[in-house]
Amino acid sequence: MLSPERLALPDYEYLAQRHVLTYMEDAVCQLLENKEDISQYGIARFFTEYFNSVCQGTHILFREFSFIQATPHNRASFLRAFWRCFRTVGKNGEAKKKKKKKENLLTMREYHCLLQLLCPDFPLELTQKAARIVLMDDAMDCLMSFSDFLFAFQIQFYYSEFLESVAAIYQDLLAGKNPNTVIVPTSSSGQHRQRPALGEASTLEGVEASLFYQCLENLCDRHKYSCPPPALVKEVLSNVQRLTFYGFLVALSKHHGINQALGALPDKGDLMHDPAMDEELERLLAQVPGLVNSATANPEAGCLPSRTPPRVGSPWRPLHHARKVDAESDGSTEETDESET
Amino acid sequence: MIPGKYRSVSGRAANNVNCGLHLVIQTSSLPEKSKVEFKLNKETPSFSGRLLQHDLERNYSSRQGDGRVISPSPRNKSSCISSTTNVTELCGLEMKTTMSSLSAFGDSSIQTPSKSRIRQGCHSAGPNVSGDHINLASSSMPSFPILQRSSEEKILYSDRLTLERQKLTVCPIIDGEEHLRLLNFQHNFITRIQNISNLQRLIFLDLYDNQIEEISGLSTLRSLRVLLLGKNRIKKISNLENLKSLDVLDLHGNQITKIENVNHLCDLRVLNLARNLLSHVDNLNGLDSLTELNLRHNQITFVRDVDNLPCLQRLFLSFNNISTFESVCCLADSSSLSDITFDGNPIAQESWYKHTILQNMMQLRQLDMKRVTEKKRLTINNVARKWDLQQHRIPNIAPNQDRKVSDSPQDPSQLHGSTISAFPEETGSLDSGLTSALQGLSVTDTHLVEVDGDTLSLYGSGALESLDRNWSVQTAGMVTTVSFTFIEFDEIVQVLPKLKIKFPNSLHLKFKETNLVMLQQFNALAQLRRVDQLTIDPQGNPVVNFTLWKYYVLFRLSHFSMQKINGTEVTQNDMIMAERLFGILAHVASSELPQYRLISILGDARKKQFRYLLETKGKKPGLVNEENSDSKRLVGENTNRATLNYTTRDFYNERLEEIKEKKKFCKMYMEDLVKEATEINMKNEALQKLWPQMFIELVRDAVIEIRNKSSYMKLCLQQITDQK
Repeated sequence: MLSPERLALPDYEYLAQRHVLTYMEDAVCQLLENKEDISQYGIARFFTEYFNSVCQGTHILFREFSFIQATPHNRASFLRAFWRCFRTVGKNGEAKKKKKKKENLLTMREYHCLLQLLCPDFPLELTQKAARIVLMDDAMDCLMSFSDFLFAFQIQFYYSEFLESVAAIYQDLLAGKNPNTVIVPTSSSGQHRQRPALGEASTLEGVEASLFYQCLENLCDRHKYSCPPPALVKEVLSNVQRLTFYGFLVALSKHHGINQALGALPDKGDLMHDPAMDEELERLLAQVPGLVNSATANPEAGCLPSRTPPRVGSPWRPLHHARKVDAESDGSTEETDESET
Repeated sequence: MIPGKYRSVSGRAANNVNCGLHLVIQTSSLPEKSKVEFKLNKETPSFSGRLLQHDLERNYSSRQGDGRVISPSPRNKSSCISSTTNVTELCGLEMKTTMSSLSAFGDSSIQTPSKSRIRQGCHSAGPNVSGDHINLASSSMPSFPILQRSSEEKILYSDRLTLERQKLTVCPIIDGEEHLRLLNFQHNFITRIQNISNLQRLIFLDLYDNQIEEISGLSTLRSLRVLLLGKNRIKKISNLENLKSLDVLDLHGNQITKIENVNHLCDLRVLNLARNLLSHVDNLNGLDSLTELNLRHNQITFVRDVDNLPCLQRLFLSFNNISTFESVCCLADSSSLSDITFDGNPIAQESWYKHTILQNMMQLRQLDMKRVTEKKRLTINNVARKWDLQQHRIPNIAPNQDRKVSDSPQDPSQLHGSTISAFPEETGSLDSGLTSALQGLSVTDTHLVEVDGDTLSLYGSGALESLDRNWSVQTAGMVTTVSFTFIEFDEIVQVLPKLKIKFPNSLHLKFKETNLVMLQQFNALAQLRRVDQLTIDPQGNPVVNFTLWKYYVLFRLSHFSMQKINGTEVTQNDMIMAERLFGILAHVASSELPQYRLISILGDARKKQFRYLLETKGKKPGLVNEENSDSKRLVGENTNRATLNYTTRDFYNERLEEIKEKKKFCKMYMEDLVKEATEINMKNEALQKLWPQMFIELVRDAVIEIRNKSSYMKLCLQQITDQK
């Protein structure tokens, strides 16, 4: 007979790896935390709601950072929530100056504050790192546009463990040693070429792209955390001869495909479009106390151009709009959209 | 003993006064003299007025008060009355300046003229007699009247001459009076100073309230010490080159735009430039004796050069346009300055005003007419220093020592028994420079509570304890402004419920040096009852550097419908912008959170409200929007952002700890569950795998067993009999 332990392990591992355990633990934990309230409306309903919210990605709102970063799904959900909630902050300038497409610029600290509105203990370090990608490691007080920050933040937050390993590899490469224990014949020749490059470091910045890619490919294979699809990394690296660490990060953050593969945010061009939310916002604006009619007319006019382009069917839309459909009849949403276009 | 009444009396009496100077230039023993005067006047109030002091005094008071209201003539009685009220306000300080200013003219032996003497002088001003003795002849010269006095009068008042309210349009030619030392032309219509160049012994010249447009004709008056040119039309300070011994220069109520041509006046002690058109102060070097500088009611935006005045003690900058401390920072370098006024400037409206001034100007004895107590100054300094220390160290270490309660002198009713605090141990280990500085202060207070009018000011975190006190209903009701300085915002958050109860009328909150760093901290203010105004000083509150902070405040505290933020009126556009920026956040927070979390996030008080919302949400969406939009709006205004709240760092960390423990338990529990489940699953799977084989074996065994029917029957029967 097979020993039970040996058989049990793969199942358990499977659950852990797929983060099922994380959610189940968290569900029970939440249940315990709110037991008084939950007992009023039933444990079954609680579990339904909990897992529904996990599906919709709303479970991370105002949660502690340790939970938010616990799973890739949580990270993606957080990115998405951040985008949805503060898209208007980035759009602000555009709305003000009517048709001129001008984004609101904010500092790293301000973005950090916004992040903290969603997650009170969000660490400053991560925001700083993301800002460093945008600002290329200098002048941390500079202003950044919302989209620049958001995409850099996405890479930094979603792949943070991966990036740490990449940084280590990069440093090793810079120092001239090959971080991979397994030396491929071609990479040894690369190592030779690396040495003279070190001497003229002032003229030649960074590391050689092909060598760097080999290391990264290796890393992706054995990395247990999520990492960008190797094919896309290859694509990023194949365009250049040499590159620096931050150059690599910038390229990653600007890469359209990686954003899509990650699946939390819309394309850069559509970043300001979220018709359902815009509609909601109009409704809220109409409720501003003591608002005169003429006052509403103006901002509306300023807002319209941003909504007019047709919505591109973004892959995550069903996920994100699932709840919206509950709240308002689907037909009405479509109707308004058509009337606008 | 002071002003109000007296002033009005003197004012009324003054209209008849037109006389010589008697007292002022006395070289003999002064106190006695004044006593005699005093008596005399009292007994015979109609005694021929001989004093000019009331005029003088008026001038000086006008330096203090304002030029506009000083004229005590019956023609503007209303202004006279206003001046009395004005003067009462100014009380103490005015007295002092009057005294010292007086000493500025006349013989130097008169160093300390008593106040009562001046007052009596005013009082005594009797009916006009001098008119009988002065003969203004306008005959011989075509344009200038010639003045002659009777010899009797000349003997009586040999060195003074008063030509007040004579409707003069030009200076008369004054003949045979070369020994004159005092000349008074008040309240005439003179447009040009002339015909007095022969009066070379003149010490005192009063041209108050005339129509002079230019300073001129004074070059020969080398001994002139007091020059009063208030309420004229002078545009430029000029032609004072020869007046080297000038002691008092009064130019209030003119149209002067800049300070110039005074640098040679090294004996000048009093300079009055109130009610002019000055836009700034500088070019003051050379005025080495200046003790008093009056610059009230100008349009001054910055002050320089004051640190070049070695004797300056009193500086009046009330009612100007000073808005930052930087623009007057040279004052901090003046070691002689003891009295200063800033009231009526934008700067005085700032929450940091008082303590910044006091902190930077240790030498001050009076600020805005209020005595600066040493204790208060030290306390504020001490609190500031402690705060700095705290900020440079780990900001989380809360100063938790017992502290001494000090109350402001303005509100002695609040005085409490104070306990002298032992200075905290921890400060002993700080870097040496600061420690030594602190040790000097270690016996003084570490916080300050002050009630000044409608403002409650709290300095230092210990001051928050004062909210526990039993405030009188009156005081509590009166306080509408609460200002926090040098206190961690997180600490303030904890006392907000108390504040709400103790000071129900507090509408204006001011924060300075409170470590406001995050937008979410503003969430905490939502629990208050009402906030009309919010002032967050950029100093020590980095959050103000964010472009979004104001909108976030407006958004999160929209239920207060605030009127002003940092002194700026909130407009409708601001409200819309705030909603535009953060409305979605509120919407997401309220509509997308799972219910169980909503309920747990909202406090018990709000639950009821919210349940209503949830119920309406459960209905058909279309109906909700139609029917309940009004009621929803009322309730939802707060609830949709009520989920955005702030827990202080300590509390949050505590909660995280708690969660951690729960998590540990959950993890173990889940592990067990999952293990059990996987084990069952595993067994199940094993069974599934083995079952076909087992089944075949079972069938085979059975078949083999029953293959021989008779032997099987036997066996069965055997078994049955064995059982029995």
